[in-house]
Amino acid sequence: MKLTGINRNYYGYFFIAPFIIGFLVFGLYPVYNTLALSFTDYTLMSRGGSFIGLRNFQVLFADELFVKAIKNTWLIWMLNFIPQIGAALLLSAWFTSVRLKIKAVGVWRAIFYLPNLIIPAVVAALFNSLFAFYGPVNQFMVRAGFLPEAMHFLQNANIARGIVVFIQWWMWFGQTIIIVMAGMTSIPVHLYEAAMVDGASASQMFRRITLPLLKPILIYIFVTSLVGGMQMFEIPYLLTDGRGAPSNSIMTNNILMYMKFASSKGHIGAASAVGVLVFLMTTISALSIFFFMRDRDDSSVDKTARKWFSKKNKS
Amino acid sequence: MLNKYKFQTNLMRTVVYIVLVLLVIITIVPIWLLLVNATRSTTEIQQGLSMFPSTHLVDNYNILISKGINIPRGFANSLFVAVASTIITVYFSMLTAYGIVVYEFKGRRFFSNFIVVLVMIPMQLTIIGFFQYMSRLGLTDNYASLILPLIANAGGVFFGKQYLESMVIQDLIDAARIDGASELHIFHNIMMPLAVPGAATLGIFAFVGSWNNFFNAFILITSIEKYTLPMVVKTLRGDVYRTEYGAIYLGLAITVVPVIILYVVFSRYIISGIAMGAIKE
Repeated sequence: MKLTGINRNYYGYFFIAPFIIGFLVFGLYPVYNTLALSFTDYTLMSRGGSFIGLRNFQVLFADELFVKAIKNTWLIWMLNFIPQIGAALLLSAWFTSVRLKIKAVGVWRAIFYLPNLIIPAVVAALFNSLFAFYGPVNQFMVRAGFLPEAMHFLQNANIARGIVVFIQWWMWFGQTIIIVMAGMTSIPVHLYEAAMVDGASASQMFRRITLPLLKPILIYIFVTSLVGGMQMFEIPYLLTDGRGAPSNSIMTNNILMYMKFASSKGHIGAASAVGVLVFLMTTISALSIFFFMRDRDDSSVDKTARKWFSKKNKS
Repeated sequence: MLNKYKFQTNLMRTVVYIVLVLLVIITIVPIWLLLVNATRSTTEIQQGLSMFPSTHLVDNYNILISKGINIPRGFANSLFVAVASTIITVYFSMLTAYGIVVYEFKGRRFFSNFIVVLVMIPMQLTIIGFFQYMSRLGLTDNYASLILPLIANAGGVFFGKQYLESMVIQDLIDAARIDGASELHIFHNIMMPLAVPGAATLGIFAFVGSWNNFFNAFILITSIEKYTLPMVVKTLRGDVYRTEYGAIYLGLAITVVPVIILYVVFSRYIISGIAMGAIKE
């Protein structure tokens, strides 16, 4: 007995309706509202404001602090993302290696993921204590002879930035390993077996089989990490004074937005302008990475495999 | 030849294990120091580094609460928000995902792609517009402003879709329809019980996401009685505690211990769930 005659497909609309309503009310309208506010001089104090066109944006572009925040955010994100993806690829290759047969892979991975579960605000406060003048890092460095005397790590621009980069890496490399490894284990073993028969080396197999087939996963990690990185807040905010000190070296987009919002008058028009610009920058970057790096044709396993074998046969 | 291969493999394996042990040290030491220092007095902490617990846990706790911080209340607030957020996220994400997976309505593909695009959009950056809108509705300083937006949680729908695609059985739905079950009844009483493992995994992530969320609560919640745990932690960074290192470490450690316990119990689900959200089978 076939039921396809009864069409209940329109029920789909009922099932997705709550999402759509929720999105319009709590997602899309705030986007519009932020955009609208960014063209006004609205403050929390005045509870009102008038349309001032693009002046908020002009002020921002002329503001060195804004430019610095954008640069910092990109720099901090890139400096933690590259070692993060590097560590993930290397460790995943080790964990899935038939030759090495690493033991207790699940336990290693579970440990590496742990920092990701701790409240970021706690992580920031913790590293503030660890790197304090009387903190454990100074005690260790001095006693081990790496430093002649204790130093103010968090008052040095480069060191403070380095600590933020390290914390971001520390919190996220475990998760990246898990995702990359899941991608690697979903690659059919017979591809490697066939390549091995043809005498391919480990590095050839990595470059010709593993990397191309991992591409969708790598794009996913790239995009989600970028979107998260552009909104980085807690770690730099709670590591030092919440104003990007020392010398604005860890001032990020969201800290600047928050500072405008929490300024004595509460310039939410100006804060919205920061939000709008960073929103546009991030969305355009993320979507273009997603659409341009993704293969136009469906890069199925067999297709990639065929390409690799035909190349082999030609040579 | 074979011996040489074996030797190289063993050598490489040794190098790998050394690197792994180093990485474990890097991962664990900050957390270990946090737990250890929570039991040491401020004087001990200032005198030197130690990897072993001391006896000042109770003293630190007394100092911690004597300065007016209310960690149990922060805990209760965070727990309430996280549980409510989890229920809303899981139910509505599964509902939406089920709609996409089971029904071939017009615009399904578009909607499905739209969800993927939404995952990549930094919604947190519209917090200012959201705040001003909530304050017009009188919903600032109200947990509803943290919880209700999760009705439309794109990441949750994406995960739910990946999961349901691998398990929805059309025959079961058809059989239930013959028995005269309504569509919503099929979702609630037939599909949801089957989808419990996926829903649980999604629930863990929703819970952790809400538990760890600082930025939204920081902007939307203003009265101290309503502070969630990350906001309470922020007050630990204030002047009142400037020199009370032991108490600060303890305050931070109290928030970490339950998470570690939960993780030991649920790590299997958490780790398989991370991969599930990212990989299209």
